[in-house]
Amino acid sequence: MDYAVTMSNVHKKVDEFQLESIDLKIEKGTISALIGKNGSGKSTLLKMVINLMKTDSGDIRLLGQFVLGDDESWKMHVAYLPQKPPMIVPFTGYEMKNLISQWYPTWDEPLFRKIVSLFGIDLSRKYSKLSPGAQQQLNLALVIARNAQVLILDEPTAHLDIPSKQILNDLLVEWMEKEDRTIILATHQVEEIRKLADYLVVLKDGRIFGQFEKEELIEMYKRYWFSQPLDFPAVPGEQERGEGSLTTNLPNEAEEYLRNENIDWTNVQTLELNEILAILLAK
Amino acid sequence: MELPIQLSKDSREPIYFQIEEQIKALIASGQLSAGTLLPSIRSLSKDLEVSIITTRRVYQNLEQQGFVRSTQGKGSFVAEIEEGLKQEVKVATVRLAFETAIETAFRHDYSTKQVEKIFSDLIKDYEDKGKGQ
Repeated sequence: MDYAVTMSNVHKKVDEFQLESIDLKIEKGTISALIGKNGSGKSTLLKMVINLMKTDSGDIRLLGQFVLGDDESWKMHVAYLPQKPPMIVPFTGYEMKNLISQWYPTWDEPLFRKIVSLFGIDLSRKYSKLSPGAQQQLNLALVIARNAQVLILDEPTAHLDIPSKQILNDLLVEWMEKEDRTIILATHQVEEIRKLADYLVVLKDGRIFGQFEKEELIEMYKRYWFSQPLDFPAVPGEQERGEGSLTTNLPNEAEEYLRNENIDWTNVQTLELNEILAILLAK
Repeated sequence: MELPIQLSKDSREPIYFQIEEQIKALIASGQLSAGTLLPSIRSLSKDLEVSIITTRRVYQNLEQQGFVRSTQGKGSFVAEIEEGLKQEVKVATVRLAFETAIETAFRHDYSTKQVEKIFSDLIKDYEDKGKGQ
């Protein structure tokens, strides 16, 4: 298997917070959504992938190349959108484009123009004078048009309005059509995960709680409805119990248990992705 | 192009299987004619909100079964299929719909007799409305 990013046994301590034993493999040609509560270390993890933050220990590779090594040629193959712009930018959109485009031989000028026109970005204005939404649109245009093989986006839809979010989803889908491109995005937006993600990487309590294929995760959680009161002990994999219903992430085992106990359920349902994520992250 | 595919997450049929059967039905019924370019794996994944792992599997299966042919770099096209295969798909599609209905009825503790009664009542309704043929 060909990987865009691999992390093995990575540790990082920042103040009170730490990431522990991070093992992660991101397949080329896929979109992975990095999910976790606020402060779960998503941004830290992404920054380590591109060596903007040094790891305390462990091995990180981008397209097979060790990111802590002297050879930094891998940097040409990755484009990163930070959650916050790193500094105050005294330039107009045009000036920023001219600066950035000359650094990268893979710069795609027609794609940049297309994104600018889809979002309706005014390149003649100073970056600092743009609204947060327009700033984000410009950041996205600048990062996507680099055409790096690996695109790392930290909260790409922050400040975007509904039409812009849809434009971005379509742009990213189209961008992925070219062979062997990979996207890793940190997000809280369920809609983005639904439309874009192949894999969900769940970060919890400083560890990778799991890496799931989207359908595999959805098929894992089932809610059972009962016409009788739920006066029996917890079933295998039980996650939640409400009035007349319970939710499990081990549906086969739970069904077997219920059958053995002669408890009939009246209905069974798959959960919505947002419900599953809420359960996953809350516990 | 968007395909008119409706997925039921509560069905016992896995998602990849539902997509596969519905594309076959679209091909067998002629709604997708031979030579039609199918959506790319990535764009179908977005439309159906599934991963490319699922869509890739669907296209591979369809190709193996002769419904689709893929050309490197050009995409996947609807293949020319035989009349016999078309018939098979039609039978399978209708049977699957009935199976789902029967399963629902049994889950609600209906007896075989009651299911037959519902079925004949519904058929009668259709005939009365002039929809039956």
